Amino acid sequence: MSLRDDFQPKWKLLLKWGWLSFAVFILMAPTFYTVYISFNELGFGAKYYNFTFQWYENVFSDKQLIGALGWTMLLAIITLPIVIPFGLLSAKLYKQSTQKVWIVFVLLSPLFVPADILASALLVFFKNLNKFFTLIGEYTGIYSLDTWFDLGIMTAVIGLIVYTLPYVFVVIMITMARYRNEQTEAARDLGASAWRAFWEIEFPQIRAGVFSACAFVVILTFNEYTRTSLLKGGFDTFTSVLISQMLNTGMSEESYAMASIVSLVAVVIVSTILIVTAIKTEELEKKTRIVKEPNK
Amino acid sequence: MIIFFVLPLLLTVVWSVFERTMFWMEPAFTLFSYENFFFSSRLENFLSSMFHSSISVVCAFFIGFPIAIFIRRRVRKVAQHRVMLLFILPFMVSEIIRIFALRPILSRNGVVNSFLMDMNLIESPFSIFVFTPTGVVIGEIVSFLPFMIFSTFLALEAIPNYIFEVCADLGVNRRRMFKDIFLPLAAPGLFAGSVFIFVNGIGIALIPTILGGPGSVNAGLIATQAIIALDFPLAMAVSAIMMFTLMGLLYLGHRLFNLTKLLEPIS
Repeated sequence: MSLRDDFQPKWKLLLKWGWLSFAVFILMAPTFYTVYISFNELGFGAKYYNFTFQWYENVFSDKQLIGALGWTMLLAIITLPIVIPFGLLSAKLYKQSTQKVWIVFVLLSPLFVPADILASALLVFFKNLNKFFTLIGEYTGIYSLDTWFDLGIMTAVIGLIVYTLPYVFVVIMITMARYRNEQTEAARDLGASAWRAFWEIEFPQIRAGVFSACAFVVILTFNEYTRTSLLKGGFDTFTSVLISQMLNTGMSEESYAMASIVSLVAVVIVSTILIVTAIKTEELEKKTRIVKEPNK
Repeated sequence: MIIFFVLPLLLTVVWSVFERTMFWMEPAFTLFSYENFFFSSRLENFLSSMFHSSISVVCAFFIGFPIAIFIRRRVRKVAQHRVMLLFILPFMVSEIIRIFALRPILSRNGVVNSFLMDMNLIESPFSIFVFTPTGVVIGEIVSFLPFMIFSTFLALEAIPNYIFEVCADLGVNRRRMFKDIFLPLAAPGLFAGSVFIFVNGIGIALIPTILGGPGSVNAGLIATQAIIALDFPLAMAVSAIMMFTLMGLLYLGHRLFNLTKLLEPIS
């Protein structure tokens, strides 16, 4: 990337780049610091710094933590195949609809509703649903629905779907914006079914967005605390173990190591997606330039 | 989304007028929960959290808006999104970890105070950075600033380039450009970013819990404490108040600025 605007003194441009970099640095500083402390044998506040992997070894030998990792992974695995098709359908619906305001309102509002408020509302909603189904059971004799909305994996997954769907919708919509509908129309004119036109023509072009959305869902599931902790019932997730350790015993060296693992995995995944997307976009632009200006 | 998002939030209004029982609530019509909220120190805490969130919104505006303008105006078109992606990275790291890690950075013997003392800029460490309202504002800015930058940039991205070229040809100065071009055209983005920061500032319990210290309470914390105390109608009343605040702000924003314009560049 290069600096633009010939009329502006270079020092002013550099100053603005400096301000931008400073903002990114400040936003990332807590993460950098967590990682830095996690490798110090002497922990936080020590005068000297001795590099070690000891805290990571402790974390990976912690059975409670490994269990929590498994539960979090399970939540992500169940959430993914539900939320991604929903996101795809929502983005397609948005593109075709004339009532865009309502779709945007319903799909993006969860971003604006604070986690504690939504989690409280869902908790009471699930408890009421259980009471409702118990009542139905008493009248009809069908008791199988009684425990459907007991706090557990299903309620936690519902909370995660509501939380991650807006992100999935936006990510898929960004990639869908580049897709020209005329291609689907051409495929349909040639006799392809709607599914085949989508799977063979549209999907390969929005695949990057769909895979990015998958990565985002996994990261968000690992990062989520408030909704999951209120809706999960008896099991522990990665962040709930982390928070209980942080609140009960303070930030131990293991806490720093745990936090670093979650942060580094997220940073590596997102960075990979960003780099791959940047390279692909560049290649696409090169191809477009060659087609448009073959003599240059 | 209608069943598991819209419906539960709408039903908070109904549940908020139910009567509290020992462990749950029963259908009734009582405004006791609202009375409990509006005629107690909870209202004071709520208003105080609104004030702190407003400060966070103003700070995020002054930090984030120039960045969004800079990216839109001075970075090559192909590189603009890549620069924006730099702000996605911190957003993808758990908010809990970022907030918790601010404690050792901002505490009395933390990184910031140590740095300032090593540079001989201060004689004794500052104690206003954590367990104070200042700590809450810092936490909110660190948590939500990317959203202000994203939404403002999206609004600016919809401005065609020829507008800047015409302004340059006519010799419009920077102040006028800011007042008459950037500010009005970025208004939907600024509004969306401000509502996001404001509502989450008064609704997310984690930030005052970790960085605010005793007495730092917001609506989210009141709701979760009410649930722990098994006062479900009160928790629902707080949720309903938050929902009406949010809906009111979004409706106002949509009437004034047409917020769907924000999605035009990406749809």
